[in-house]
This record gives sequence, C-alpha cells and structure tokens, in this order.
Amino acid sequence: MIAISEITKSYGNGDGKTQVLKGITMQINEGDFVVVLGASGSGKSTFLNVISGLERPDSGSVTYGSLEITKLSDSKLTRFRKDNIGFIFQQYYLLQNMTVEKNVRMGAELADNGDYREIITAVGLEDKSKKYPSELSGGEQQRVSVARALAKKPKVLFLDEPTGALDEETGRQVLDYICKLHKEYGFTIVMVTHNQNIAEMANTVVKMNSGKISEISVNKVRKTAYEIGW
Amino acid sequence: MVVGMKDALKLIGISIIACCAVFVCTLFLNYNIDITAMKNEITAAGGVEMYNAIVSTGKVVAAVSGGCLAVTSVIMLMFYVKNYIDTHGKELGILKALGYSDFKIAKHFWVFGLSVFVGCALGYAAAFLYLPSFYELQNAEHLFPEIKVQFHPFLAFLLVVVPAISFAALAVIYACFRLKTPVLDLLKEKREYKAKLSKKETKDMPFLKELTRSTVRGIKSLVFFIAFSAFCFSDMVQMSMSMKDLSSETMAIMIMMIGLILAFMTLFLSLSSVVKANTKTIAMMRVFGYQHSDCSKAVLGGYRPVSYIGFAVGTAYQYFLLRIMVDIVFADVENVPEYNFDFTACAISLVLFIITYELFMYIYSQRIKKLSIKSVMLE
Repeated sequence: MIAISEITKSYGNGDGKTQVLKGITMQINEGDFVVVLGASGSGKSTFLNVISGLERPDSGSVTYGSLEITKLSDSKLTRFRKDNIGFIFQQYYLLQNMTVEKNVRMGAELADNGDYREIITAVGLEDKSKKYPSELSGGEQQRVSVARALAKKPKVLFLDEPTGALDEETGRQVLDYICKLHKEYGFTIVMVTHNQNIAEMANTVVKMNSGKISEISVNKVRKTAYEIGW
Repeated sequence: MVVGMKDALKLIGISIIACCAVFVCTLFLNYNIDITAMKNEITAAGGVEMYNAIVSTGKVVAAVSGGCLAVTSVIMLMFYVKNYIDTHGKELGILKALGYSDFKIAKHFWVFGLSVFVGCALGYAAAFLYLPSFYELQNAEHLFPEIKVQFHPFLAFLLVVVPAISFAALAVIYACFRLKTPVLDLLKEKREYKAKLSKKETKDMPFLKELTRSTVRGIKSLVFFIAFSAFCFSDMVQMSMSMKDLSSETMAIMIMMIGLILAFMTLFLSLSSVVKANTKTIAMMRVFGYQHSDCSKAVLGGYRPVSYIGFAVGTAYQYFLLRIMVDIVFADVENVPEYNFDFTACAISLVLFIITYELFMYIYSQRIKKLSIKSVMLE
C-alpha cells in the first residue's frame, strides 16, 4: 500500500512562488489501477513525480508499506526506484542510439530479468526488436516504453499521459496492452491523464484541481480500452 | 539571424588552438625570413651549418605544429557546425519550410570564422611581443650577426587573414552540406543510427557495455578530440622535458605551456560535449534506478582507452620528431648532444596524465550526479 500524507510542493521564490500541491492525503492499494484526472496546471504530474520518488515534497510523507521514501537519501531513493518503480512518459524518452531490444534490456537488467523477450512479444514488437526508435511509429515507440518499464518487473507502474502523443486507434491499442499486462502481472498502476474517458478503465479515479484532490471515486464496472469514448 | 556572435563565442576551443598554432608558426617563420635575408653575412665558424639547421627546424616545426593544429581546428569547426545544426534542427527546419534556401541559411555560419580570426590575431600579437627574446635565444652562441625583428605584412596576412577567411568559407560550405537534410527530419531532429555490431554481439552484450560502446561510436569526432588532448599532453610535456639539452629552458617551458593549454581546453570541451549529448540518457537511467556511478561509467568510461592510445601516440610522435631533428636537421652541426628516449620523462608525464585525466573524470562524474532529472525531462 502507498500512503500519501499531507504532501505539499511549491516552485519559485518570493512573489513568484507557486504552490502546486496543497496538502494531499490518500492511499493507493496494492494491485489497484488509479487514474489521476485534472486540467493542465492542476498539479497532477507533480503529484506523480513526488509519489514515485522523482521529486521530493516540501512537506508531508510518502510511504510504501513501512518504507517512508521521502526520508531516503538520493542513492537509496535510486535503489528504491530500481527495485519497485516503472515509468512510462508521454514523450517515450527512448534511447535513440539503441535498438528496441536494447531499450527493453535497459529495464530488464535492473531486475536480472532474462525473459525480457517475452515482454517484447507481449507488446507485439517481436519482429521489430532490431529496429531503432526513429524507425518506429509513435504507437510502436510507446509500446517499447511499456515493455521497457515492465521488463524491470515493477511493483508500481507510473504513467504520465501515456496516450497524449498518440492518435485514437494507437492510444487504445497501447492502453489495451497495459491493461492486459496489468491483469497478467498484477502490479499497481497510477496513471495521470486529462482524458476523462480513460478514467472509465480504472478501479479508482482521483480528480485534482488547483493542487488539491477534489474527488475520489471507485468504478464498479471497468471498461476496456475499446469500450471507452475518446 | 540564424547564428549569432554568442554562438561564435562558444568556439573558444578553436580560438585557443588557432592562437597556439599561429604563435608557434609566427616565431619560427618570422625568424626564418629575417635570418634568410642575412644569409650572406653569416661568416662565423659553424655558422652556415647552424643557419641551415635553424632554417630547416623552423620549416619542420611550422609545418608539423601548424599542420597538426590546423587539421584539429578544421575537425573541431565541422563538429561545431554539425552539432549546431543537430541541436537547432527545429528552428532551421522551420526556416527551410518557409522557403529559405540552404545557402541563405548557411551563409550566416561565416561568423564561426571570427573565432579563428580572434585566435590567430592574438597568437600573432603574442608571438610578435615574444620575438625579440626568441631571436636572442636562437642566437645564444652568437654565430650570426644581430638580427632585428622585422614586420612582414605578407606573413601577417597569411597567418591571420587567410585562416579566418578559409574557416569562414569552410563553415558556410559545410553548413550548406549539412542543411541538405530533408525539412521533416530537421523538424523532428531525427538522426539515423545504423546497427554495426554483429548479431552475436547485439544479442549477448549487457546493456551498460552496449551503452558505453554506442556512446563512444555515437560522436566519433569526440573520440578524436579526447585522443588529441592526451596526445598534446604526452607529446608536449615529454618533449619539453626531453629537450633540456637540445634547447633552452624558455623554449621547453613554452612548449609545455602550449601543450597543457591545448590538452586541458580540448579535454574540457570534449567532456562537456559528451555529458551534454547524453543528458537525456543519463536522466532516463536515473529515473529507472541506475546508480550515478553506473551512469558515469557508461557515459565517460568508454573514452579512457582512447585517451591512453592518444598518450602512447604522443609519446612515439615526440620521440621520432626529436630523433629527426637530431639525426637529420642538426646532422651537420657540431657538438649536438646525443638524444635517446627519456624513460624518466615518459614515466613522470604518464603519472601526471593519469592524475589529471582521472581528476577530470571525477569532476564530470560529479556533474552527472548533479543533473536534475526533472529539468532534463522538461526540455
């Protein structure tokens, strides 16, 4: 379980200081699929960065089980991310000078995962494993980033607008892969998006507004990537 | 304006190399011209042999140092032009999309020639100030009549104006060539990577090892510059220590200073470029949980063998250059001390090189550690 308690975060100094997170408290259960919804500037990406250990909050705590990550040193925080966290970003951030296989291997070697080729197959890219990112479409690149994140066998997968740069068909395809792999591997998902339709795929929906949680709801019925609107 | 004065200022490495090259060439060539004019007045015993040796030395030093540094400057200029186009692909792509021709954009790259002009002018001025002392050193044994320093406009034109114009033209021509990239590729800042490893290697090589290899192979000119910095260090430091019996102390110190400036500047600029070119890779590795030591090793470690090869080449180069000087150029001059490979100088410079290089590596490793993951991802 991830326990988030009273986290605050500001940027800038003096008159230019902006409080992005204003005392957020919530819990995320193991294996849950959480979607964080919010308009641009609502603080959802900062929230994701803080709870994943990429950024430190100004105050408050983030605890995974019994481990409070906000108290860890940089080196221990890096090790924590290595052992527990996977990331998928809107811009993919693939290593352009590495093939698909090597990009996935980047994640796999952190977990001593010798079976990373299975994940490449699972995202439907087995015939493109020797290609470079520049030779792939946007959807294929995002699938590589999914495979890379999952190859390290994360306990929690954080996704920041994973379909933001994709067209509808490719976006649905990528979400479908993520859902299938979520069912198969049982990791926790925390996804940030501004697309309200994607929220229908999640167990828990968190709505953010001006750095605060405005609503938390639970979906009784979850839809698939091909059932939601776009 | 596409390329501004600010961009030209970033080419300080080229300015320094140009400055050193022109400094050395001015000393020897100006002296050669002045002493040649007095050839008929040299009557002292052994004077003619010494005259021939000094004129030959001047030609060899000017050709070897000037040539070597000119080639390095050309490679560095091409690296900067390519790097500028790679990092400003979007802006340049938009200009091309709007209808600007390749030449119309490329002609602004002439400002890169200014860095060469500044370096050459400073080198020439510095050499001219030092020339009286240099003339005295060259004639320490008073084998020649007193030679006064003369200003030779043609030499100034050749060493200051011609390089500046040539480099400005080269920058424009090379930029024009690089800008032939299709508009969409420029806008997407798309770069082609080709698989060069064998099937066995790509399958079995661990990620970090593969990353080290691809980092080194990614920008080949940086491999050259890092090897060149080690070459300069090894060559100039050893030469200045080995030639204590063959030349004056001032000359030895001057050679060492030039070597150290070239080595440090080139290494500093190269390592800065390596880290800059790999910031996104480093940030992503840190996000995924790779420790900073793994990132540093993968990004910087691949250049270590290259630098030691550069050091070895520099050692051999300085030995053969001094050997040629003693055996061929000074063959007819009497009382030239015997020259043998100086193992002590080699060992001292190797130890100094290892300490300096590893210190640089440590500084850049700390720079990698301080990279902000968020700022890199927000770019």
